[in-house]
Amino acid sequence: MSTFDATSDAARRPFKGRRTHFGDLILQVTAGLAAAGAIFLVGMIIYKVVEGARLSLSTFGLGFLTHTSEINGDIGGKAFLIGTAVTSIGALALATPLALGVALFLSELAPGWIRGPVTALVETLAAIPSVVIGLWGIIVLIPNLRLHVMPALHSTLGFIPLFGPVTGTGASIFAAIIVLTIMILPIIASISRELFLGVPAELKEGALALGTTRWEMVRGVVFPFARGGVAAAMILGLARALGEAIAVSMVIGAFNGFSWNLFSAGDTLAGRLANDYSSPGTAPTATSSLFYLAVILLVFSIVVNLIAQVIVRRAERRQGLVR
Amino acid sequence: MPKNGMLIRIALAVAAIAVVAATAAGSGSAARTSGVTINGAGSSLIAPAIQGTYWAKHFHGATGNTVNYSSVGSGTGEKAIDTRQVSFGASDAPLSVYKNTPNPCAGCVQIPWALTGTVPVANIGLANGKLHLTGTVLANIYLGKITTWNNSAIKKINPGVKLPSKPISVVYRSDGSGDTYVWTHYLSAVSKAWKSRVGFSTTITNWPTGTGFKGNSGVAAAVKSTPGAIGYVSAAYVGSSHLDSAALQNRSSHYVTVSINAIAQAAKIVTKVPSNNEISLVNPPASSKYAGAWPISTFTYVFLHKNGDLNAAATNTTKAFIKWALQHGQYMIRPLTFAPLSSIVINASLKTLGQVSFK
Repeated sequence: MSTFDATSDAARRPFKGRRTHFGDLILQVTAGLAAAGAIFLVGMIIYKVVEGARLSLSTFGLGFLTHTSEINGDIGGKAFLIGTAVTSIGALALATPLALGVALFLSELAPGWIRGPVTALVETLAAIPSVVIGLWGIIVLIPNLRLHVMPALHSTLGFIPLFGPVTGTGASIFAAIIVLTIMILPIIASISRELFLGVPAELKEGALALGTTRWEMVRGVVFPFARGGVAAAMILGLARALGEAIAVSMVIGAFNGFSWNLFSAGDTLAGRLANDYSSPGTAPTATSSLFYLAVILLVFSIVVNLIAQVIVRRAERRQGLVR
Repeated sequence: MPKNGMLIRIALAVAAIAVVAATAAGSGSAARTSGVTINGAGSSLIAPAIQGTYWAKHFHGATGNTVNYSSVGSGTGEKAIDTRQVSFGASDAPLSVYKNTPNPCAGCVQIPWALTGTVPVANIGLANGKLHLTGTVLANIYLGKITTWNNSAIKKINPGVKLPSKPISVVYRSDGSGDTYVWTHYLSAVSKAWKSRVGFSTTITNWPTGTGFKGNSGVAAAVKSTPGAIGYVSAAYVGSSHLDSAALQNRSSHYVTVSINAIAQAAKIVTKVPSNNEISLVNPPASSKYAGAWPISTFTYVFLHKNGDLNAAATNTTKAFIKWALQHGQYMIRPLTFAPLSSIVINASLKTLGQVSFK
């Protein structure tokens, strides 16, 4: 006669020894299948993408990464690689201080009656579909940039090559950076806000009791405590920026080239994929070159993910959390 | 009494359901159409002629059959017909352009079924046709060699016209497009530098300068909202977007503004249609016959498989639609700046259509 053994030991052994409960077995099998399915799916996607890129990989090899176009009229990866790096890092650099400011405001500084509505608004920003932001970018952002913002920046900061002359329609790397900033700001802000709220009150009050100013308390207690989490939030934002295809493709100008002038048009890996996936071009390697771009994007994402794991683990270890 | 009340309620409910069911069945059978529905996809150049109040609507009125069309671009349309996702594909570029792609549609025939042109449009405050351009100047603008509107090369061909000192913002198509194919084909014909540096195709990967937008509508919107911009759109979009087109000098040295007559004159160079139906009208030679010809005119093709569609009904309906477009649809799309096909081309198209049969 089998008895229901509730010890964790027995629950972890659905097959060996005595079967404890049919329901547990079902749970183990279903969850195991789901996990296996997820692993299989990821493996399948990576395999298919690499297989699609095989022709380009064998024809161009790593030289693909250093050319903007190949001899047979096909694309090279250089401009998209640099474009992706510049837009993602630029958006992160712009969004992080703003997001931390929003999070601090909502957790430390705002009066109680404001916190609810503003938090809801910030989270609504995250809910706006990327194609809607892209549309707003085309209709509102680009003309404003071309007529007001970019000429003003060029006239005051024009000695920096980043803020070069403004020519063209306004569709530019700068426009893409603004759009990406709007998209990743709510992610970093909501996570940071939760983290700041989770700082133990005793620590904060202790610092204030010792005579620190508000800012010193934030800098000395809140930020170090939340450091690992904020780094994770930034990586989350970076991952979103790397993969954003639709909104970027609408405002960046689809230009296969790179210059240090942020006000010139460019393109990113995801943006070019979004533009060209249905009609890649007529060179024999055109389709496989698009897959090659996808491979590069996958590698980027995996590397960013790994860096995130390392950062978070290091921060947690510093805080004394045992893994 | 409650029991009677319950019986009546049940009886009423059953009666109501019975009436609704009978009505639904009755109206269903009355409204059932015997029409066939076919799907097509491709070029945004031909889209205004098929959709709206033109071909599909009139064909439905005449035969009861429905034609659905997705304007996804010539390249995507060709891929769709190769993989048999649709009954017909529409492309402004001929089949030979796709022969090296993974979807070359080897068993397809191409049938020219409409005639129009691609047009340079500019936003510099000059009325339609006022700005004069030559092929060489246009190529140099798109090569990035001419960068401001008051450049001496442009001033020379526009005597007496006040040109702004604005920089030229070049606009092109970012998606796979038949208009891009025709445009770059023309630039390759008039400029050796363009031909060696960029060439011509439905998707250009290395535009020397400018910014790209999706679809004819994307280019039109970009040109319209950027003073100093120049771009290219199908002739049908010039009027509907209220854009100002430039007059282009043809090889007979006349500056021509795009019109149905100008396009029809370019098509006069076709005296015999080759067996694969591929005809290029770009840059017609100098002659008094083509004195007013529009230099960037183009036929647009419909692709279908030689051995028909997935079933006989779809094959016959597709053939009937194309035949209808060739014989009855030409004059009705003139407001969209399509010139009617000449009888030489219509006969060749019908002959090719006759070779398609369901196997």
